[in-house]
Amino acid sequence: MKNIAITINGLQLTGREDMTIFEVAQANGINIPTLCYKSELPPIGACRICVVEVEGSRTLVGSCHTPIAEGMVVHTHSPKVLATRKVIIELLLASHCGTCFMCSKANMCELRSIAADLDMGLPQVPTRRLYYPVEDVSPYVIRDLSKCILCRRCVRACREIAKQNVFAVAYRGFESKIVVDFDQPIDTDVCRDCDVCISFCPTGALSRPSKVTDEKKGRPLIICD
Amino acid sequence: MPEKRIVLRNCNAIKPNRISTYLAGGGFEALSKVRGMSPEQVIEEIKASGLRGRGGAGFPCGLKWELAKNSEGDGKYVICNADEGEVGTFKDRYILERDPFTLIEGMAIAGHAIGAESGYIYLRAEYHYLLDSLMKAIEQVRKRGFLEQFDIDIREGAGAYICGEESALMDSIEGKRGEVRYRPPFPPTKGLWGKPTIINNVETLMNIPQIILNGAAWFDQMGTERSKGTKVFSVSGDVERPGVYELMLGSSLRELVEDLAMAQRVKIVQVGGATGRIIPYSMLDTPLSFETVLGAGAITIFDESRDTIDIVYRTLEFLAEESCGKCAPCREGTEALVGILSKFSRGEGESRDIVVLEQLSQAMMLSSLCGLGQAAPIPVMDSLQHFRDDYENRIAEKMAVQ
Ligand SMILES: Cc1cc2nc3c(=O)[nH]c(=O)nc-3n(C[C@H](O)[C@H](O)[C@H](O)COP(=O)(O)O)c2cc1C
Ligand code: SF4
Ligand code: SF4
Ligand code: FES
Repeated sequence: MKNIAITINGLQLTGREDMTIFEVAQANGINIPTLCYKSELPPIGACRICVVEVEGSRTLVGSCHTPIAEGMVVHTHSPKVLATRKVIIELLLASHCGTCFMCSKANMCELRSIAADLDMGLPQVPTRRLYYPVEDVSPYVIRDLSKCILCRRCVRACREIAKQNVFAVAYRGFESKIVVDFDQPIDTDVCRDCDVCISFCPTGALSRPSKVTDEKKGRPLIICD
Repeated sequence: MPEKRIVLRNCNAIKPNRISTYLAGGGFEALSKVRGMSPEQVIEEIKASGLRGRGGAGFPCGLKWELAKNSEGDGKYVICNADEGEVGTFKDRYILERDPFTLIEGMAIAGHAIGAESGYIYLRAEYHYLLDSLMKAIEQVRKRGFLEQFDIDIREGAGAYICGEESALMDSIEGKRGEVRYRPPFPPTKGLWGKPTIINNVETLMNIPQIILNGAAWFDQMGTERSKGTKVFSVSGDVERPGVYELMLGSSLRELVEDLAMAQRVKIVQVGGATGRIIPYSMLDTPLSFETVLGAGAITIFDESRDTIDIVYRTLEFLAEESCGKCAPCREGTEALVGILSKFSRGEGESRDIVVLEQLSQAMMLSSLCGLGQAAPIPVMDSLQHFRDDYENRIAEKMAVQ
């Protein structure tokens, strides 16, 4: 396969023909934030957090799904890119349930960690918060969709890795929701104990129920610099 | 420039249920001519004509066809986009009702040019009443033997605006939830069921037979530097004579709005529907072209009795409702824009809301996955540019009350 030369943040880099901008950046130690992308899953380009500036392009482009092209000049952290990422995170936080302090995901939450990286303040935009009742019928997975950011990793992980296809997207626009069947709470009939979706969820929307004998302890807050 | 009927030449002149009336006027001569030409020659002709897509984006038609022709793989497709979901457009309906044959001929020529054996017409759900007449028209063409190398089928939408967007349209035909795909790959490389596909608006395809018969040079001399030919406009709103008008590209908005549609006391003309531009009366002499404003040709007129913020608010409500919900900036951003605009419409807007409107708009334009989210802020930005006073007066009124 052909090698392609591109420039990222002023550095002359090369990548294979079939690589995306994100992959070339990552291979060279340039960190682009992602929410919906996971290397094990096919990209979908949904969260737009990974957008970068490509010279000559009218809009920013999603780096997780855009293949590199000869002579491409990319900026991953230009002021325009950072301002845009901030707005996207701000929007996601604005409709988020906002109970981080009691969420079991704590500092493992990818939404929080990207927000912290971007030096976010409190969200200024008024949007609605969608509260859904916690689904805790299944002995294998608890779904708290008020914390869902619709990255669809669970949908793809269940389909591609667990080969089950339990989840789908229903409704549209702001009302979009990850559902099981015709929007039924997830139960033992459709889901077996594989944990795959839980391990892929970037937020606290999916979690593992504690068993009767489990000693219940909050996850310690991990503080790192 | 007066009205000029090229696309609409057969409308009301032939009988849409009688192929003989179409044949009598030279119907299918272009297809016969094309069958004696190589695909390269056909594409050269379309490229030389300068024809650009009439569905909104204005992509050069010949170039699109060439990309699809040069893509490897068999089982290519031609899709006619008859979803016509843009607010205030009804010109494709006018055409489908009156002249299905030219469209079918245009699609068959496209099929020959890119090497496709089948095509689809993606019909808007609300146009279900046309299904029967379209199927009968296709059947008549088939009986005459014009569809032996290339056949056409119809697929119906289910009422989603986003399914007019080409990648969502293909998902819909494939039987999936109509949602946008990221690009590249573009449809001419990887489209319907992964095969090279061209998607063209009804009106784009309507131009093809005439270009083939009269030659690229004939088409190229009409219009402006980068907008050749005519455009069919759907005119509605506060006008005396709403309807469908075909004008030479480059004609002024004033001619269409005041002279033909007889609008009075115009305040705002929205050109291009919900995601279109907001043109104040002072700019009515703007020419209609791809270089200036055009979109899919929806022209909605608002007179002085209308409230700017109300217009923008309602437009954004529509777009929020129709967002597919896949990408974060559009799904959350349209909702946030609606939230702020509703504050203004209730008289509760604040100065800092204007800053937030601008920041949000900028980010949505730059990062949304498809044209809906990228263009949704246009009404907000345009109204802030031309009617900023309307926003500021609302804020001032609120301060005065307090
Ligand atoms: C949200 C959205 C809605 C669209 N709706 C339509 C439509 O109803 N009809 C149409 O022809 N094109 C529509 N388009 C444009 C199509 O994606 C595509 O560009 C067009 O069909 C290409 O045809 P053309 O090159 O002949 O214009 C829409 C685009 C977007 C982003
Ligand atoms: S439940 Fe988790 S993994 Fe699934 S879409 Fe929501 S945030 Fe993403
Ligand atoms: S911009 Fe809007 S309509 Fe387009 S993909 Fe994103 S959410 Fe869907
Ligand atoms: S990580 Fe690329 S769009 Fe979500």
